[in-house]
Amino acid sequence: MRFALDEYAHLKSPIHRWNPQYKLIGLLTLMFAFATVEDLRLLPVISTLTIILYLLSRLPLSFLLTRLRYPGIFLFTVVAILPFFSGETVIWQWGIITLRQEGLLAVVLIVCRFLAIFITGLVLFGTSSFLNLIKAMRSLGLSPILADMMLLSYRYLFELAYQLNTMQRSTRLRGFKPTQFSWRNLQVYAALAGSLLVRSYQQSQEIYKAMQLRGYGTSMKSPQSKRSIDVYSVIALIITLAIAIGLIGLEFLL
Amino acid sequence: MHISEGILPAKVLIGGYAIAGLATWYSLREINKQKNPTEGVPKAALLTAAFFVSSSIHIPIPPASVHFVLNGLLGAVLGCYAFPAILIGLLFQAVMFGHGGLTTLGINAVIMGVPAIIAAQIFQFRYSIGHRLKPHVSLNLFGFFAGATGLGIAALLFFGLTITNIPSDFDAQTEQTAIFGLMLAHIPLMGIEGIFTAMVVSFLQRVKPELLPS
Repeated sequence: MRFALDEYAHLKSPIHRWNPQYKLIGLLTLMFAFATVEDLRLLPVISTLTIILYLLSRLPLSFLLTRLRYPGIFLFTVVAILPFFSGETVIWQWGIITLRQEGLLAVVLIVCRFLAIFITGLVLFGTSSFLNLIKAMRSLGLSPILADMMLLSYRYLFELAYQLNTMQRSTRLRGFKPTQFSWRNLQVYAALAGSLLVRSYQQSQEIYKAMQLRGYGTSMKSPQSKRSIDVYSVIALIITLAIAIGLIGLEFLL
Repeated sequence: MHISEGILPAKVLIGGYAIAGLATWYSLREINKQKNPTEGVPKAALLTAAFFVSSSIHIPIPPASVHFVLNGLLGAVLGCYAFPAILIGLLFQAVMFGHGGLTTLGINAVIMGVPAIIAAQIFQFRYSIGHRLKPHVSLNLFGFFAGATGLGIAALLFFGLTITNIPSDFDAQTEQTAIFGLMLAHIPLMGIEGIFTAMVVSFLQRVKPELLPS
């Protein structure tokens, strides 16, 4: 399964060059600015900005298409429901099927906003290594407990998924029929989930001991590194913030 | 049961982040009250990953299949670590699978995490309200209520927020009917989630009782 967040973090592009700390602030602000858009006249603007951002990141199109597979179900549901049930202005009718203007416009707004925010998020997490993004979050004030939990969870996620896969295969080899819904099957699933929790707990005890041996939990001061201002990243941040503020301002003015 | 990007207006998203921030602050304060706050971090992190993976188990309920939400179970097992665990799990789901989103992370954390905190409290009631019952009955009963309540409140928050905030022209009566109908459809699922939670806590009590908060 290709669900690693940072498989294209090694590429070279103007977005990859951007310091993760500044990138996090800039792109998150831009995403919230996209979320404020409710005027349909701004949709071409946010769509163009998103396309430019994705092209600048040099991430392959296949990366975007793979990630769009699951949210595609949500998009399909919105498109399938809203234009036919929401609104009063009928623009097309065939028997009981009625296409309504308000619903159609709501779909256009939701889909454009969704794609703009989703793709910007993809650029944010696809152009930096996960470790660097956590470091950036830490430098911006994320609690060390949350940062440690995030890193450890990410580290063991795929390993536990593999363990669950193996356990499920073992149950099938022993004659378990997962296609039936019964009390017995529910007990087997509960035992599977319980076993996974017990295994992960036992593993966490060993990890904690290993971490303690390496000094985890003791208040050691890390050596202060000299912080120099990355001019390129600061300029990129200022441009992004200006665009975000401009979008919010336009939304209020229009 | 995650709200995707683009559906909710910005003020709701910011409100969601504000409540999620408050709940995270409360959880971290509870964690920091412990004798050694870092001791529980590896346990909470690996259990977060395990819950994340376990929620992919699909149960066939003809003609479809459902997966467990497990926020009630997470609250029952992780206690004050439950909200941060849900926040992290939702972040992974948003960036790995596109379930939920980054702007909706706060509101989704509220939808899943606040019921988990309530479920954690319900599960603790087995010591106060349930102490007259036999231990295994009390464990199963409060495990059931923790699981069912976790899903029930999450579903109510999810449907309520989505239907009332979607940019459309549904009238108030249609919105209320939709929320009521969807909640009715979720009652059997609440029952199944509750039974499953009771089964898992019962399993943990037999195999590894120290995993359950005392």
